[in-house]
Amino acid sequence: MASEDRLIAIGEWHPAGSSRSVPSRLVDDGANIVARDEAGGALACADLAAIEISPRVGAIPRRVAFPDGSLFESADNDAVDRFLKGKGRSGFINELERFHPRLIAVVAATVLCGIAIYRYAVPALVEVAVLVTPPIVPKIMSASTIETMDRMLFDKTQLTSERQDNIREGFKAIAALSSRGDAGYTLNFRKGGVAGPNAFALPDGTLVVTDELVELAGDDTEMIVGVLAHEIGHVDLEHSLRQIYRAAGIAGLIMMIGGDVGSGTEDLLVQGAGLLSLSYSRGAESAADRHSVELMQKAGRDPTAIARFFDVLEEKLDDHLDTSILSTHPGTPERRKAILDYAAEVRAKAQ
Amino acid sequence: MVATDATSFPAAPAQDASSDFHRLSFTGSGKEYFGIWIVNAFLTIVTLGVYSAWAKVRRNRYFYGNTVLLGRAFEYHATGGQILIGRLIVLGYLILYNVMLIFVPVVGIILGLLLLVFVPFLVARGLRFSARVTSYRNVRFDFVGRAGGAFLAFIVGPVVAVISFGILAPLASRWAWRYIGSNMRYGDRAFVTEPRLADLYKTWALVAVMVVVGLLVFFFFASLTLSTLVVAPGTGLGQMPRLQFGSYVFGILTYLVGAALFTAIGLFYRAGIRNAAWSATIFDRKHRLLSNMSRSDYAWVVISGFVVTILTLGLMRPWAAVRVARYVNDHTAVRFNGNVGEIFDRIEAQGSAVGAEFMDIEGFDIGF
Repeated sequence: MASEDRLIAIGEWHPAGSSRSVPSRLVDDGANIVARDEAGGALACADLAAIEISPRVGAIPRRVAFPDGSLFESADNDAVDRFLKGKGRSGFINELERFHPRLIAVVAATVLCGIAIYRYAVPALVEVAVLVTPPIVPKIMSASTIETMDRMLFDKTQLTSERQDNIREGFKAIAALSSRGDAGYTLNFRKGGVAGPNAFALPDGTLVVTDELVELAGDDTEMIVGVLAHEIGHVDLEHSLRQIYRAAGIAGLIMMIGGDVGSGTEDLLVQGAGLLSLSYSRGAESAADRHSVELMQKAGRDPTAIARFFDVLEEKLDDHLDTSILSTHPGTPERRKAILDYAAEVRAKAQ
Repeated sequence: MVATDATSFPAAPAQDASSDFHRLSFTGSGKEYFGIWIVNAFLTIVTLGVYSAWAKVRRNRYFYGNTVLLGRAFEYHATGGQILIGRLIVLGYLILYNVMLIFVPVVGIILGLLLLVFVPFLVARGLRFSARVTSYRNVRFDFVGRAGGAFLAFIVGPVVAVISFGILAPLASRWAWRYIGSNMRYGDRAFVTEPRLADLYKTWALVAVMVVVGLLVFFFFASLTLSTLVVAPGTGLGQMPRLQFGSYVFGILTYLVGAALFTAIGLFYRAGIRNAAWSATIFDRKHRLLSNMSRSDYAWVVISGFVVTILTLGLMRPWAAVRVARYVNDHTAVRFNGNVGEIFDRIEAQGSAVGAEFMDIEGFDIGF
């Protein structure tokens, strides 16, 4: 009987659920796969289809599990592979993993795919997500945000109603020219408190201007309207939603590749993504600035009005900060220059 | 007596010969792991993350399968499907939680609190899963800890450590290690981990000194950064860019120095606690586990590996990972009381535990 055996590999056999081990040979006796002890007695025996052979990973011991729960283990991976190859089974993934010049191509493909996902797939997914987000979502989001801010941050405005109407009038004129129209926006006045001179837009078209900003502008209503046109730009271009989805997409991407890069590297990637999102935020600010210039020009108002706001900022708040990779907004002097350049360009086109 | 003092056993080889003293070893290589690692990364990206579950199986099979004690390797048995389902559930919940937090904060907060309630349960389940998919010599490990213990070890412990400014951190470490160690089973035999607070505080004392010194260094750098910032507004426009650049450099430097310092201290503490806890673990009431990592060597191996990984844009990560595994295994040992062959001939699987594992999903993954 033993003469018909074809040796597959030498190893050890464990009875089911036991750590006891018996030196053993795994053989193919023509009909079945058999684990034999040193005397040639069969320890376990089964059809090839019924046994489970673990896929190869590196050079770790190979497991051959018999249906009775017993186990044959061998360090001779090559012998097991030769046997399986003879039966027409081969491990594709393990073949790919082998240390071989081909791995350089795998490295290159990995890097390229990673970049492609970052550059194309994430932005595309963000666009899709923005498109399918029902309008109720930004509404709920904005309602809860303004509620929180009112409670934590703001007080009732102390501006006179004439001053408010004055600003509102200018605002209505430009809002009417935006893609959402006059009805798409509501303007609110608040006393800013620690928020200081500020204006911001919520994704549903709720705009807030602080008393401090109005006071900073003095009599220059045009300048406030310019700032509001900038905020309208954020809403029209759907910056908030995009930013949220983008952050989620990038976090997902890091988690995805983050299988085994080590916790230190993962932290570093998260920090890097944070810096990149700041650059995205600067890009959004510049886009909103240009939107302001366009709207003001269309309304027949001063397209450079928002640039004056930066003059005031620089003068009164001593804000000369340049752009750096650590800022959410472009540097003030730089921003003013970009606005003036763009305004000149828009004007030239209009003529 | 001897075993509780973690640093004494390499100095006493004579004793090792008399009792059955065996080190773990790591037989993998960075070169071999490189292929597994990069193919894992490639297939994960190409499949938009789905393959990551199978990648984890291959990675763990490689590391467990190269962890060798007495000439036999450990084994990892989880399947990609089990891990994928567990991940999808956790991911789905986290997405729901984040979406709700943004759009309907009240529901989000409720979901968050609910998660907090479930964490101990999930941690216990995760530990049980990890134990049950691990085997050595054809016998599986098991974990019998409950959610209550996980709550004490992983929620109460960290909170106590933080609100006591780290003074009670060794107590938290003790809870965590005792929970993991004393609930571990190998076949029908139990482990018992009773780290002595005195040993844990010995490690803690040195780390506390390092933290205080580290904070002083950190504040020194931070104050330099602040002073450059304060100087900046008063100076003329022409000098601005350079000064600002200077303060950014200082800011980044402060951040890096702080991060490096506290990472090193954290590694130091982790190694010391591991030594104390492992060396206070007894298997089957008579076999001692031992760990004698040098704290500074361990910190060095991890940090230098990280630096090399960054400098090579990640390509040397497999080498770094293998190097850490080798260091840890080389400094972990078991002292068997009696003939090893006979000991293992008598250990049998517990039976019921193994079957249940196939219905299990991973839940939260906490490596141990």
